[in-house]
Amino acid sequence: MATVAEPSADLGLGPNIASANRQLPAVASYEQVNDDIIGTLRPTKAWFAGLSVAILCLLIGAAAWMWQIYMGLGVAGYTPPVMWGVYIVTFVFWVGIGHAGTLISAILYLFRAGFRTTIYRCAEAMTVFAVMTAGLFPILHLGRPWKFFYLIPYPNWRLIWPQFKSPLVWDVFAILTYLTVSTTFLYIGLIPDLAAMRDRETHPVRKRLYSVLSLGWRNSDREWRHFARAYLFLAAFSTPLVLSVHSVVSFDFAMSLVPGWHATLFAPYFVAGAIFSGIGMVFTIIIPLRRWFGLKHYVTINHLDAAAKLCLFTSLVVGTAYLTEFFIGWYGGSEVEHSFWYTRVFGQWWWAAWIMLICNCVLPLTLFSQKLRRHTTWLFILSIFINLGMWFERFVIFEPSLSHEFEPWQWTAYAPTYIDWAILLGSFGWFSMWFLLFIKNLPVVAIAEVKEIVPPRLTTTHPPFGVPEPSPDRVDVEGMHPEYLPETPGERD
Amino acid sequence: MQGIVGVFRTLDSTVEAIHALRKLRAGDMTVYSPAPRHELEHALDHGPSVVRRFTLIGGLLGASFGYWIPIWISDYWPLVVGGKAVPSWIPYTIISFELMVLIGSLATVAGLFANARFPRITMTVGYDPRFSDGDFGVWVECPPERQRDVADTMRKLGAEVRSES
Repeated sequence: MATVAEPSADLGLGPNIASANRQLPAVASYEQVNDDIIGTLRPTKAWFAGLSVAILCLLIGAAAWMWQIYMGLGVAGYTPPVMWGVYIVTFVFWVGIGHAGTLISAILYLFRAGFRTTIYRCAEAMTVFAVMTAGLFPILHLGRPWKFFYLIPYPNWRLIWPQFKSPLVWDVFAILTYLTVSTTFLYIGLIPDLAAMRDRETHPVRKRLYSVLSLGWRNSDREWRHFARAYLFLAAFSTPLVLSVHSVVSFDFAMSLVPGWHATLFAPYFVAGAIFSGIGMVFTIIIPLRRWFGLKHYVTINHLDAAAKLCLFTSLVVGTAYLTEFFIGWYGGSEVEHSFWYTRVFGQWWWAAWIMLICNCVLPLTLFSQKLRRHTTWLFILSIFINLGMWFERFVIFEPSLSHEFEPWQWTAYAPTYIDWAILLGSFGWFSMWFLLFIKNLPVVAIAEVKEIVPPRLTTTHPPFGVPEPSPDRVDVEGMHPEYLPETPGERD
Repeated sequence: MQGIVGVFRTLDSTVEAIHALRKLRAGDMTVYSPAPRHELEHALDHGPSVVRRFTLIGGLLGASFGYWIPIWISDYWPLVVGGKAVPSWIPYTIISFELMVLIGSLATVAGLFANARFPRITMTVGYDPRFSDGDFGVWVECPPERQRDVADTMRKLGAEVRSES
């Protein structure tokens, strides 16, 4: 019935942090979980200020879009043959951001990685809003956006017949499936938490709203039994979906013959990059949240440490992909690829390539240091660099390739205009607006799943069935390891 | 529907109550807990959830539909690319995979709703808001003549008991 695995009695091998086998020592009871997490939902002045800034950014982007519709797509800085500019870069950037959410919520769930429990809700919400943001860009890229439904591949009488052998059609299916399944996964996980909010709410309108959203959930054994199984299958479906979606996005490029794009490496390269960028964005979001919401005893340093290791691993995978790509360009024997590779790394686009390499490959190496993995300020700063580096990764993939194709007479330059930058800013405003609305209306930490890892109240002093006795040589018997106290020595922020 | 609901403060007393009530053969039992617990699962000893069948059927239907729709469309309006076969199963596998995931996931949710019996319009009897906070609960549906035995059993294990109908 439970969604987490039964604890193993085998504690023979453990991490090198004494407290890491105890998930949430500073959380004593189920009631505390409700109090702490539902207590974060009260809006504050800082939240209203943040929401105002997000809406302002969105309005700037919307104004730029209106101007683009009025003037035509030429204002967006396209210079033939570079007809995919910042919009495709930002589209792939946001799809990539959306990947870590499902990685953390689904893949780490199947692998029973305990550190996901307190961060996955934020990551899932981030996924849904990031894919919603990405979905805007194919429409923003249209001269006549009111005809956007022409893009949807269904049989019609407009003489635009879907070509199912085209990667762009695969992309529509992949992105829409991903958006639907991610949203479903998020909502299904929220149902027990909405019921907890319903039962605490006193305001009649909000109570009614939560009642409707929780679908009459009652925490019964029948509900939990089927819920746990359904959640497992949704996670099992989401796992290959994560891998497939960015592979399909990479096929948009890899299926062409453009130098720099036509590579079998692209699918794993894109997937690893997407997960890496998503984890970066998770850090950007979760580190301020745990501080502002007073949730340091839920999202602990141990959880961030584990997530930082995942970040380091994906950075190494991405770095290997860059080196492989460069090696193929240098050693592959194709004059076109060699010329393109030189232009990208040492020529016209060197500045973008080196921003990418430093942010994505060099700076994350600092995470080999345990001290830095547990330093929240550094993790936050690093996450900003990762976001920047991953945006530039997509820029380096798309723009140099289009501007340096086979024929020298086609070679050109490309520079984004203020319209591109305004729409990029607007996309961050759109994403932030939804996320800010989410964090003050729905729980940012999964209440029911956190309760699963909090010891239940017992009449007797012995642990319940299946829960092993704490090992005294690894954790303190009081369950209050110094690392979890408010002034924790491992945390400098 | 009438019966007895007991509110328990602790998990182990809830588990003991389940064992005692099953021994008593008191009637249909529903157990409430703020979070899913393996201890309750072992005590109730239910079989595996049938949601998996919905998942399997949904996944197979989605995969089949994902092959059928592009094959049908290709055949209906042939677009020959590079002299290759009009219905080409390799690229269509991507469509099939995506629809397998999509329809399989939605079928899983439908299976959850059908088997867990929600959306529920009313909360009916036998529920207490404390079950989503920190307390555990047992609802036993039984006729009035059995209610005294059930209530006594629950009270002995420290439950707060009330009769509902």
